[in-house]
Amino acid sequence: MYAELRASELAGLLLIIAAGLALPQILPGYFLYTGNSLMTYAILAIGLDLLLGWSGQFAFAHIAFFGIGIYGTALLESRAEVPFLLSVAISAAVAGLVGIAIGFPAARLRTVYLALATYAFAECAQWVFRTWDPVTGGPDGLRFRPPVIFGYETGSDQSSFPVVALILALAIGAALYLTKSKLGRQMCAIRDSEHVATASGIDVRRTKVIAFAISAVFAGIAGGVYTLFQTFVNADVLGVSQLVTVLTMVVIGGSGSIIGVLLGVVVIGLLPELLRAMPQSLLVWQEFIYGSILVLAIVFMPQGLWGLIKPRFIRRTGGCGRTPAQSIRAPAEASQ
Amino acid sequence: MSAFFAIDDISVRFGGLKAIDHFSMEVRPGEIHALIGPNGAGKSTVFNCISRFCTPVEGRIRLDGQDILALPAHRIVASGIGRTFQNLELLKRMTVLENVLIGQHVHIPRYFFFGPSPKRKRTEAEAVKSAEAILEETNLAKYRDTPAGELDFGHQKLLDLARALAGRPRLLLLDEPAAGLRNREISFVDALLLKLARSHGLTIILVEHVMPLVMSVANKVTVLSFGQKIAEGTPAEIRRHPRVIEAYLGSEAHA
Repeated sequence: MYAELRASELAGLLLIIAAGLALPQILPGYFLYTGNSLMTYAILAIGLDLLLGWSGQFAFAHIAFFGIGIYGTALLESRAEVPFLLSVAISAAVAGLVGIAIGFPAARLRTVYLALATYAFAECAQWVFRTWDPVTGGPDGLRFRPPVIFGYETGSDQSSFPVVALILALAIGAALYLTKSKLGRQMCAIRDSEHVATASGIDVRRTKVIAFAISAVFAGIAGGVYTLFQTFVNADVLGVSQLVTVLTMVVIGGSGSIIGVLLGVVVIGLLPELLRAMPQSLLVWQEFIYGSILVLAIVFMPQGLWGLIKPRFIRRTGGCGRTPAQSIRAPAEASQ
Repeated sequence: MSAFFAIDDISVRFGGLKAIDHFSMEVRPGEIHALIGPNGAGKSTVFNCISRFCTPVEGRIRLDGQDILALPAHRIVASGIGRTFQNLELLKRMTVLENVLIGQHVHIPRYFFFGPSPKRKRTEAEAVKSAEAILEETNLAKYRDTPAGELDFGHQKLLDLARALAGRPRLLLLDEPAAGLRNREISFVDALLLKLARSHGLTIILVEHVMPLVMSVANKVTVLSFGQKIAEGTPAEIRRHPRVIEAYLGSEAHA
């Protein structure tokens, strides 16, 4: 239970890799571009949920680490001629170190104070990305060339798709192993009760800092992946609205569950595409409909889509995530 | 010879209030030592000092000669002291088994987190096996995979105890283990505590309001009132002690 991946989980990872190899042969470029974006969002969202849903820390600095990953990889790759994989590793490590640096003060804060402080950090980071001209290109942004990995040229939606899929599969695999480990259990424990965790010998602050660092590394890797199929970045893609999108994916899908988060990424990621297909006369209502879906989802599915779907075909309870029975019982408790 | 566990002259202040006032107590190994007193007497504060959630302004606490006050709260369990909580603190979204695995945390060796390894497999298999033994002993085995938040009250109380036992304490602090339990459940806790003390050689400090339980399991009773020790002795002595009767019933009760 805490050692191995289930057969279904391994099959899922292999399926992602297989789809990564097969789909570029079949689908047109636009779908592949959307797919690449969704997979990048998936790495970002899983990383955010390790902090939010698994460790119970409502921290919103995530988008800043994504930025460090993008600028770091792009600069190392395009300017310093560092190989792509090494660039991603270095950038993710830098993101992790910055994560540790803000994790120390953040571990002293809770709830809305933590949310505000980390949000402020994300704003500061965006300001740095926008104004540090010599490094980030300032408001004009940064252009970079597509990476070459061991002679394999990425850059087109077609050619980058398999690489993005492979990295996504590795990221999901790492997250699955993490959540099934002693450390994963530790993270759930500080989420459920800091008192019990402490009395059981868990250093709560240290666990929080580790969770911050791991979450930041995931965002950094997502940043590296971004450079595979994009050629340009500026601070506009690293703002609050992108953070809210990732947050929505996590919450709507089902925080505290990797499958749930992936579901959220697909649904929220495809929603604008679906809304775009509406009749012209309704198009002005697009933003309104999008907002309404969010509000209704949060009110009526506090456990996310996965919390709604899971009990219909999986009887198994447990794991650190939320359980179906609790989601059914929650309103009754609230009314008492 | 110094005592197995000794609280030596501790005081705790919350603002201007003296919650604990020069309190001392000694516990002998293998004993069940009850700490009783009216509401607000400071019993839980004493527990919080021992488990380092709170720091006394003066005094010392020692277990087997080791200075407990020098340790941070998360090092207490490794020093051999486990505790339960009065108001049902559990890892509610985690399963019964996971709660006990967390209780065992300090005894589980580290391994590589992000992928498979033989050490990981072996370590977790051993951890689960010993957690299951504790579930067996506390009558929780059939709820192994139930989230703790879904258990009924009595079983949540037991799980709190099971989690504390999983830390393999030498000294166990039990904060009202029988509060709110039905008679049948109390007699199970009663028997379990005696078994733990006698056959496992565990030393227990018990804060409890359920007097029949205190009287039947405790070897010694310390009575706390308004942060001060007002009596100490065997259950039989305590029952007759005039200051204890006064503290519980109030002096006006006789007037």
